[in-house]
Amino acid sequence: MTVTFTDVILVTLALLSLLTGLSVVVLSLTWLERKFLGRLQARVGPTRVGPMGLLQPIADAIKLLFKEDVIPGGADKVLFWLAPLLVFVPSFVVWITIPFARDVVIRNLDLGLFFFIAFSVLSIVGLVLAGWSSASKYAILGGFRSAAQLISYEIPLIMTILATVMLAGSMNFIDVVDGQRTVPYAVLMPLGLVIFFISGLAEIGRTPFDIYFAESEVVGGPFVEYSGAHWAVFFLAEYINTFMVAALVALLFLGGWSWPFGDLPSAAAMALFLAKTYLVVLVIFWIRGTYPRLRIDQLMSLSWKVLIPLSFINIILVAVQLFYGWPAWTLTLMSLAVLAVPIYAQIRYQRIPAMERARRYAERGIVQRAKVRS
Amino acid sequence: MISGLKGLLITIRWLFRKPVTAHYPKQHLPVQQRYMGFPSLLWDITADEPFCTGCMVCVRECPTQCMTAVMHDNPKFTEGTSHRRKIIESFEINLNRCILCGICVDVCAFDAIEMSHEHELSSYARNGARADLPALLQIGISFQEKTNWQPVSPERNVAATALSKKAAAAQSRDAAKSAESSEGEG
Repeated sequence: MTVTFTDVILVTLALLSLLTGLSVVVLSLTWLERKFLGRLQARVGPTRVGPMGLLQPIADAIKLLFKEDVIPGGADKVLFWLAPLLVFVPSFVVWITIPFARDVVIRNLDLGLFFFIAFSVLSIVGLVLAGWSSASKYAILGGFRSAAQLISYEIPLIMTILATVMLAGSMNFIDVVDGQRTVPYAVLMPLGLVIFFISGLAEIGRTPFDIYFAESEVVGGPFVEYSGAHWAVFFLAEYINTFMVAALVALLFLGGWSWPFGDLPSAAAMALFLAKTYLVVLVIFWIRGTYPRLRIDQLMSLSWKVLIPLSFINIILVAVQLFYGWPAWTLTLMSLAVLAVPIYAQIRYQRIPAMERARRYAERGIVQRAKVRS
Repeated sequence: MISGLKGLLITIRWLFRKPVTAHYPKQHLPVQQRYMGFPSLLWDITADEPFCTGCMVCVRECPTQCMTAVMHDNPKFTEGTSHRRKIIESFEINLNRCILCGICVDVCAFDAIEMSHEHELSSYARNGARADLPALLQIGISFQEKTNWQPVSPERNVAATALSKKAAAAQSRDAAKSAESSEGEG
């Protein structure tokens, strides 16, 4: 295969339009988040810059670009400059293969989901490097936390992606969406949707899992020492990741651009996909407006004790259904039954009085007994 | 789990409520009737002069020493249109220093000072929040008009009432005296 000059121009143009599109998406997300959170808290959000504060994200971007870019004296300068790129590039590159509609995609890969998994893991390196090179204890703590959290939550995330791949019989995004022409996988596999959504939230560090940013504990985690344009790059990556997880939920579980009433024209399909994605984004913001942050031990035990076993069970369910060729609704039933188990256990656990719970916790040796007054 | 879902329901319900935000410089929330703003001096309409006699009780009691007062002889007393022998000549409150404690109001025997509704006093000058006598009276008069303020002891402090009371007392005294003298004559 020879690469012609036209190919280079086309690819460059496609990447540039992707970058522009994603920047617009990030601007819209910041506006949407502030407006939506404001309304959740009986405030109005930004109102001053432009009508309904619509120009506020642009004002923020200009402010960030003109701010002084401080590098701490003890920092490892090369790595300090490199870390934002290592976070941003993977989250950007992934979009090359994420389709917005059947024919709106830069390069549809047969191993699209594999490509996504391979690149989304890379951002951990950037976060740890950012923490390490800042020469700040808060940053390094945040870096360690991000490594622990992201590696833990990658397993359920990837396992759930694997289950959808098994259902679709392909790692191609378009095939996965085509597999949901009649029934979206959210209906077939509610357990998978729940696991994917929760671990996706953890993967992008949105609020119940924003332990490695944690302003109140590690004052911003790996980003403490960053300011100006470099901080803006992290910020960009964070929101692109949010949008990416929402887009993946829409693609893998909500049927992407397809709906049950036949095929749509390309523009309408893309609008449908974006509508689904923004809906998931709103749910993410809604959760941010509701829940407090988890503790780090709660975070780890949620992943290793609950989500990882459940994600393996999810794969086994899908495998059993596919192997014996049972009808699709059996998978829904099995999935719901398995989902009911942790919910039931959680409800039972919450019925136990708090003191009794604390005593059991102490008996397991995690907290010293003497500290729990009976 | 269930409480978590309840939490989600609560937050989504707030989404459909009206925001409580007031866009402050554009939109002012109404001040409550008993709001305690900066102190102001009140105006006695009946004698067309301030209530304040410059007795300096508030100046001495002020914990932050934010006031000064100077009194002089009241010309209206010699004219007979007021019952106040002394009247305030100049009064100044440094409202930057005032802590809105209200002690000056408590100690005033002349109903002359009152905590007004004034609360927006930002200024560009360092001494911009120093209120002199006309300024304090202006705040006080608008406060009086807005809230229909009434003095606590009008028979002592409102000039017209006090004068008429004094006149009545003098009359009855004269009457008693004349009766006494007529009794003595008789």
